[in-house]
Amino acid sequence: MSDAAVLQELLERVVGGIGLEGSRVEVLEDGEFLTGVVHGEELGLFIGRHGQTIDAVQHLAQRAVAAGQATRRIVIDAEGYRARRAMALHGQADDAAAEALRNDRAVALDAMVPSERKLVHEHLRERGDVETWSEGDDPDRHLVIAPLKRS
Amino acid sequence: MKDLLLYLVRALVDEPDQVRIEQFEEDDGTVVFELAVADGDYGKVIGRGGRTANALRTVVKAAAVRERKRVLVDIVE
Repeated sequence: MSDAAVLQELLERVVGGIGLEGSRVEVLEDGEFLTGVVHGEELGLFIGRHGQTIDAVQHLAQRAVAAGQATRRIVIDAEGYRARRAMALHGQADDAAAEALRNDRAVALDAMVPSERKLVHEHLRERGDVETWSEGDDPDRHLVIAPLKRS
Repeated sequence: MKDLLLYLVRALVDEPDQVRIEQFEEDDGTVVFELAVADGDYGKVIGRGGRTANALRTVVKAAAVRERKRVLVDIVE
């Protein structure tokens, strides 16, 4: 089976197991990403509190497709969740960066899964006025933001 | 729930035929799944820092919501 077919089946099983009637699964292949999207209404159970369930499905899918050796990153999305989440993370990151600059000290963000830490690192790198790194071990691993020292 | 757990675990391991799941119910109604896999596959179902095991628990819990059940997934050797 192709990676896309494996992902399609995995998502259909999860959606069926959770009991989301009337939802539909679509798999998109786009360069370095293999994206599985669940379409439907009332996908709150699939997304979970703070995205806990959709992130768990994404982790399992990454491990299951091509026995975890898939060269492409797997993203699971549901009705625009990732875009909304990215907006929220950018907002939190910008607020924390402003605080770090105002007080000239390091500011820690809440713990995030690896894919979200990557997104925030990249977002803040584009600003050019702060540096970021990660501290702690999963599931508590989190970003720290500090003013960039210019020499 | 059990079918979903079995499917997911089989998708993760090298030896899907060796996956065993025992299901029982505790006095308080909690559904317990005891999961056993081939010796070489425990790392795959547990994952770094227990992340894969936690992801399995999270997804099975989501599947239990409609059935109004509390569930536990125990990984046993």
